[in-house]
Amino acid sequence: MSTCALQLSSVTTGYASSVVLRGTSLTVARGESVALLGKNGMGKSTLLKTIMGYLPKKAGTIHLHGADITRMQPHRISRMGVAYAAQEHAIFTDLSIRDNLRLGLVKNATFDERFAEIEPIFPLFKTRLKQQAGTLSGGEQKMLLVARALMMRPCVVLLDEITEGLQPSVIERIADALLWERQTHGTTMMLIEQNVPFALKVADRYLVLKQGEIVDQGESKVSSAMVSIFNHLKV
Amino acid sequence: MISRRPRCRLTVRNALAFGFVAVGLIVAGPWVFDSYLLNILIKAFFFAIVAITVDVLWGYTGYLTFGQSAFFGMGAYAAGLVFTHQGFSAGSAALALALAAAVSATTAGLVGWLSFYRGASPFFATVISLVLPIVSTQLLLSGGDWTGSSSGLTGYATFDLSLEAWYWVSGALLMCIGLLAWMVIRSDAGRVLASIRDNEERCSYLGINVPFVKIVLLVATAVVAGIAGFGYGSFSGVVAPELAGFVLGTELIVWIALGGRGTLWGPLIGTILINVATAYLSSSMPFVWQLILGLAFVVVIVLLPKGLIPPLLRPFGLGRPATDTPTLVERSVRLMPAAAGEPAFALSGVTKSFGSFKVLEGINLEASAGELVGLIGPNGAGKTTLMRCMSDGADRTSGQVRLCGHDIQQNSPEDCVRFGLGRKFQNANVFESLTVAECLRMAGYILERPSIVRRASTLALPPYAIDVIRVTGLDGKLDLVARDLSHGQQQALELAMVLALAPRIVLLDEPTAGLTKAERTQIGHVLSSLANRYKLCCLLVEHDLDFVEEIATRIVVMHQGKIAMQGTFKEVAESELVKTIYAGSARAALEAA
Repeated sequence: MSTCALQLSSVTTGYASSVVLRGTSLTVARGESVALLGKNGMGKSTLLKTIMGYLPKKAGTIHLHGADITRMQPHRISRMGVAYAAQEHAIFTDLSIRDNLRLGLVKNATFDERFAEIEPIFPLFKTRLKQQAGTLSGGEQKMLLVARALMMRPCVVLLDEITEGLQPSVIERIADALLWERQTHGTTMMLIEQNVPFALKVADRYLVLKQGEIVDQGESKVSSAMVSIFNHLKV
Repeated sequence: MISRRPRCRLTVRNALAFGFVAVGLIVAGPWVFDSYLLNILIKAFFFAIVAITVDVLWGYTGYLTFGQSAFFGMGAYAAGLVFTHQGFSAGSAALALALAAAVSATTAGLVGWLSFYRGASPFFATVISLVLPIVSTQLLLSGGDWTGSSSGLTGYATFDLSLEAWYWVSGALLMCIGLLAWMVIRSDAGRVLASIRDNEERCSYLGINVPFVKIVLLVATAVVAGIAGFGYGSFSGVVAPELAGFVLGTELIVWIALGGRGTLWGPLIGTILINVATAYLSSSMPFVWQLILGLAFVVVIVLLPKGLIPPLLRPFGLGRPATDTPTLVERSVRLMPAAAGEPAFALSGVTKSFGSFKVLEGINLEASAGELVGLIGPNGAGKTTLMRCMSDGADRTSGQVRLCGHDIQQNSPEDCVRFGLGRKFQNANVFESLTVAECLRMAGYILERPSIVRRASTLALPPYAIDVIRVTGLDGKLDLVARDLSHGQQQALELAMVLALAPRIVLLDEPTAGLTKAERTQIGHVLSSLANRYKLCCLLVEHDLDFVEEIATRIVVMHQGKIAMQGTFKEVAESELVKTIYAGSARAALEAA
């Protein structure tokens, strides 16, 4: 078995009117947590969407645990244990909270066990499982997204700005939950964040993306990390 | 690295070349084509006119309609009925033409009013459009001798024109309608239609009266279809209920899909070619031809969703909107006079419940011009709901909302916008298929009506909107399509759009979500200047307390649908309530230190 959870080699991709990633390569080790940082429009979300199979690759390959997933459909990639919390429009607004959470599971029978794990992080869902997800507030929908990704008990989890719009105390709980998840299940994580302190707390390593290229990387726990990152994020 | 796709554009030379070819074909037709083909082409020209109207409605405005055939049938029957029962004369011809236009317009007005009321779903509108031709056909069938029932009307006297003259008249009419539609579609006002297709909610929060625009458009296209029908009825000397039927309505959709929806040229050329092919092939293979057309429809939908004609015309730059990037100019905004007793907004006893669940309970809140009120509270406290109740009169359950002295009663969002309100949504809410510049132009709709024939070369924005796009680098991306912007850039674009309205009250629901810390700081300066310098009243929902501390003049804390407390940042941050329900340990530790 490969020790790499994810390996991107010279990936080029983009949208109809623009190329966003040009020959990007990066490796994420098993159980590692990597933060993707950078200004807007630098290709962070595009990178996660590309891994998830939502965008056609113009060149390059992507391997998940040694298996080639370059041309795989998103649902197949998801079944290989990759959970993805997208930035927006990612919950089923007409379904109940319970059904939204259940959709992350392969087997329904595991629902109670998995829900017991995430319930301390998001206590608000306990009494509201039957509520329609569309009636949740924006921040609560975001929590549902994270809860669903964690319920899958994925081997790789991709999180796109999950702290956006959340109150500070909830962000803290999520950070603790992600750390716990890694300790207990050895989950590999990639997260995009604008909240740099949160990202550095949760990640082992950070990457700064600029115009689709990695311009800086380093250990998140070293004291110079913050300064180095903010230099790149300056307007 | 973002690279722009080189866009083929319709150059003046190409446009002239196409114009010459079209005029050449129209003028020279009678000498080139035999009389059978001329006959087919004249009918096809009339159908192509209706196809253009359907393309404007479906391709550009997103309203899938099967009902344009009904207006075509009304026009045709106006000719048939008047000429049969009144005989043909100049006067009766004028009467028939007036009837064709008037009946189509009236029916369209009624259908539009039924289809596009506030909150109606697009599906409902399409169903109504399907009902219309069915009802029209039934009425024609039950008209007895007067309408000729199922055999229709034949043998009435009509214009004494040669085949050649009919060809020229119908060809010229098609060219005029095509040119007119093309001018309107590529004008600034034409982009309003694309905005409606993309995002009706955003349109109404920019003060665009969407139902009204749609009804006017439907009436205008119905009149054109009615006139085309009048031409068809006058030329052919035969009218039958099928002309108003939903089969024709559906065929129109097929022709447009095959030709290339949303391009005008595609449907125009597609309709003519398919009609000509049908005339030749349907006699030799009557059943198989319909099957071939049906299969072609399926194949094109799957493989060539943009239709057959656009790929052929692309090298010439047709079928693509021109993308001139306008130059930015500053629009002067009047500084608001100092508050003369009247607060910018005032809420009293505002309540909102879903069934027995109360989301908001007895909210009383006031703010004056020049204030920047920070609204904080746990997720689910009702902050966004409060903003919704302030911007849409139909949303709250009880209580009163006054905006700049106007009681909003049950008024629509576009009325609230006219009272001086601008609302930035929590999720980026922009026009995805429009460019950044076009989105910003739409945002200025109520200040400067977009021209119906021209594309303006400048884009006037208030200074603070220009600041936002400069700070976030959007000024270098004016020609990019909004869909291809990152999430944070879309957020910034929406903020700039809301400010482009030059509102007096701005509701900002997490305006800096998805932006970097450095960008947030700069947006923070812009927001401060809104209140300090331009005397706007801002209500800001934000979770980043440092950010709020920096710019807010007053903090309001919401908890479980009520206003828990308000005061200065210091008072609020020190309160036990905020520490326990909201901020978490880090903040509490920070305060303690």
